[in-house]
Amino acid sequence: MVEFETALLAVAAAFVLFATVALYRVYAGPTTHDRVIAVNVAGTNTVIAIALVAAAFGQSVFLDVALVYALLNFLLSIAFSKFNVERGNVL
Amino acid sequence: MTLTLLEAALLLFVVGCAVGTALLEDTLAAVMAFAAYSLGVSVLWLVLQAPDVGLTEAAVGAGIMTILFLLALSNTVTPDADRILEPVRWRTVALVGGFVLLIGVTVPALPAVSDPTAPVASGEVTTYYLENAYEQTDVRNAVTAVLAAYRGFDTLGEAVVVYAAGIVALSVLRREVFA
Repeated sequence: MVEFETALLAVAAAFVLFATVALYRVYAGPTTHDRVIAVNVAGTNTVIAIALVAAAFGQSVFLDVALVYALLNFLLSIAFSKFNVERGNVL
Repeated sequence: MTLTLLEAALLLFVVGCAVGTALLEDTLAAVMAFAAYSLGVSVLWLVLQAPDVGLTEAAVGAGIMTILFLLALSNTVTPDADRILEPVRWRTVALVGGFVLLIGVTVPALPAVSDPTAPVASGEVTTYYLENAYEQTDVRNAVTAVLAAYRGFDTLGEAVVVYAAGIVALSVLRREVFA
């Protein structure tokens, strides 16, 4: 069982590393669209990492946090996109 | 071991986001990097077994702060950035680096988590609070007694900070009431 949890944590670490790689696109751009999608990809990766951590620790409470994250990630992308198109009116 | 691997990956992500927030020339890109930073920090809270703090960090840090930044940005005019990164101010780097070094030297000197011989648990002040809190304050919870009675001025200062933050939020939103 211990090996299984270790594997889960290792995969979570790999997903966080993928999110770090996606940061390159946040830096380089060149347009805002690239950055919005890059932040969205990083957010999705962290949602998966949280779900894996929840499975590894056996804490189903963490899954609620993953849900909040997934919702926030979507809302953030919409807010950034709306801001980029309309310059304001984010609410 | 793999937990350390996960923490190392998370720290790498968080530091990458923080450097991006500080250095990106385009303000909107910096706000996005800051949102990603908050997401990374709250996963770190989860790994440290504090899901409530992680939830708050995600909702306030990534959600509300980002929306407030965007609202503030929409009241300004941002010129098009002609380069990706801002020029680095080396004096600031030296100051921040010195501060990080100072904290890095101090942290290993702290007592380990749940160390029974830690000075906080057996210190003179803690013993005084635990022995006298009930008689002196009539509050049934020792933590509440310390926060509301013994450190009342401290808590008052925090309340002033929250009040000021609420007023600033209202002025950014151009409203007069929260409802």
